[in-house]
Amino acid sequence: MQEAETKNGFVNFTEKVGRLTVAGVEEIGMGAMMVVETFYWLIFGRREKQAVRLGAIAEQCVAVGIQAIPIIALLAATIGMMLAIQGIHTLRIFGAESRVTVGISFSVVREFAPLITGIVIAGRSGSALAARIGTMKINQEVDALYVMGINPVRFLVVPAMVAMMIMLPALTLFSDFVGLFFAGVYVNLDLGISLAAYADETIELLSVDDLMHGLGKSAIFAVLIAVIGVVNGASVQGGAEGVGKATTRAVVQSISAIIVTDMLFAFVVTR
Amino acid sequence: MSETPEPQETETSAPRNVIEVRDLVTHYGDRMILKGISMDVHADEIMVIMGGSGSGKSTLLRHLMALEHHTSGTMRILGQDIDELNNVELVDLRQKLGVAFQGGALFSSMTVGENVMLPLFEHTKLDRKTMEIMTRMKLQVVELGGFENLMPSELSGGMIKRAAFARAIVMDPKILFCDEPSAGLDPVVASQLDDLILLLRDALGMTVVVVTHELDSAFKIADRITVLDRGEILFIGTPDELRASDNQRIQNLLNRVAEDDTMDAETYLNRLTGDEPAYRPL
Amino acid sequence: MKHEVKEAGASVVVAFEGDIDLQTSPAAREALLEAVGMGKPVVVDLAAVSYIDSSGVASLVEALQTAKKGGQDLTLAAVSDGAMRVLKLARLDAVFTIHDSVDDAV
Repeated sequence: MQEAETKNGFVNFTEKVGRLTVAGVEEIGMGAMMVVETFYWLIFGRREKQAVRLGAIAEQCVAVGIQAIPIIALLAATIGMMLAIQGIHTLRIFGAESRVTVGISFSVVREFAPLITGIVIAGRSGSALAARIGTMKINQEVDALYVMGINPVRFLVVPAMVAMMIMLPALTLFSDFVGLFFAGVYVNLDLGISLAAYADETIELLSVDDLMHGLGKSAIFAVLIAVIGVVNGASVQGGAEGVGKATTRAVVQSISAIIVTDMLFAFVVTR
Repeated sequence: MSETPEPQETETSAPRNVIEVRDLVTHYGDRMILKGISMDVHADEIMVIMGGSGSGKSTLLRHLMALEHHTSGTMRILGQDIDELNNVELVDLRQKLGVAFQGGALFSSMTVGENVMLPLFEHTKLDRKTMEIMTRMKLQVVELGGFENLMPSELSGGMIKRAAFARAIVMDPKILFCDEPSAGLDPVVASQLDDLILLLRDALGMTVVVVTHELDSAFKIADRITVLDRGEILFIGTPDELRASDNQRIQNLLNRVAEDDTMDAETYLNRLTGDEPAYRPL
Repeated sequence: MKHEVKEAGASVVVAFEGDIDLQTSPAAREALLEAVGMGKPVVVDLAAVSYIDSSGVASLVEALQTAKKGGQDLTLAAVSDGAMRVLKLARLDAVFTIHDSVDDAV
């Protein structure tokens, strides 16, 4: 009897772990399907009488990208200045503060601009996507799309995913400029290096590869944010509370995914 | 409970049965929900599907709307076997079906007018002006004329249901499905919706399938009534035949005896001990 | 769907034949607006129309409004029972002038 019970406990535990694993794999599979389906509808939508509407993509671009410009500008400027402050402070130990531009330009363009942009968009738009799809699901709006003969992936997911893939690199490029500029302003104030000299040095240091490293990553982040938002939204169950949970989960998961992917990407590319 | 003859599939005459369901079996997970349903819906009739909660009536409706996959059996809608349709054919078929969902299911990010116009916008090449006039006409039919620029959140419950009807009929569908049209409405508004269903059938020649648990509404609008019980068909026939039925379960339904009071002793025992699985949300 | 435009007296008669539905109503709309553009009173002959859906009715409504703005008349003739029900449902039987036959209308 005693043995049976411990065995049961063990079986229960393994069962739980197994079930969670299966659920996790299922969600990853669903995410992969979303990516495949998105490209399917983009390419073959017209043939299936389900053309993707440019208007819907443009609308999403405004919501994801244009409206995020102020907050991205603010954070990019802050991060740029923060890097300048820390860089000068650290390099002063070696008396090499005039070389701070090296650290600033590489870390802004390769790391901080894509990362901060990704995190802001995950918080702003990934959550909104999960909430929108979740709400639509519990209100039967997704069913309504099906019965109207409108594929929900084509109608809801494709515009959001495409908009993110366009806007995230664009915003990253924007935060490159803002971050570098405000770092330069601080360098100018603290070290007296002129902005023109700072700009010249930055341009000389940075290669197209560095820029593409950051922009490429941001495109991957875009897919991650969109897929995680959609998968969480689509798996909402049980009313408004479920939507809240899914939204939170989407933000936490996509920020985690962004940071882990960032590290992996940097590791693979720099080797 | 009469079996209707097989439809003639000639090109000139539409099949007399717009919906034919044969031996439909469906599962939700491991649980069998529909246990071999066979039923027909005739052209131009209002078929009301009734049953208590857990009877499978909502599941049956979702299958009739081709939203779910069935385990076995066949289903023909407007003469076409659902299982044999490819994506494009299914989209074409769906344009002949209209659905008014229980909660309306209006898209909250669009105005009422945009909601009603969406199927036209997605599926037709009509001129924008024509679509706008059609939209206003349908809103007029459901007595929401002039409301096209409002957002769904600005409408009352009854108005949302009527807007959902307008969207469901904007393509002049052959079949209109209504899920619990009177649920959550006060009796006066609910009765107006019943009148609207009758009007649409008479004026536009639609076949209407209504799922409801409201007896008054069912008797008012139904040409025939299907009663489901625990995933099986208990009765199909006219309202008069239903009233005259001496089946105990049907009488319980008519006299609004709570479903659990009619449960047999063994099922009750099994449910208490957990041997009989409890209902899951569908 | 086919249509024919002919002049009868001072009016232009547009005669439709067959179904006016989602597929054919764009053509019907064009024919109607063209007839209105001729600047004369327009009579729409629906005698040979077996089915008209709401897109067809919407095209009639648009043509009527365009005609009225140009100070012209647009009347319907020989409306079938089915079409009449669609018109009545949207309370358009009061908006259109409806004649029993083309001869009455001209």
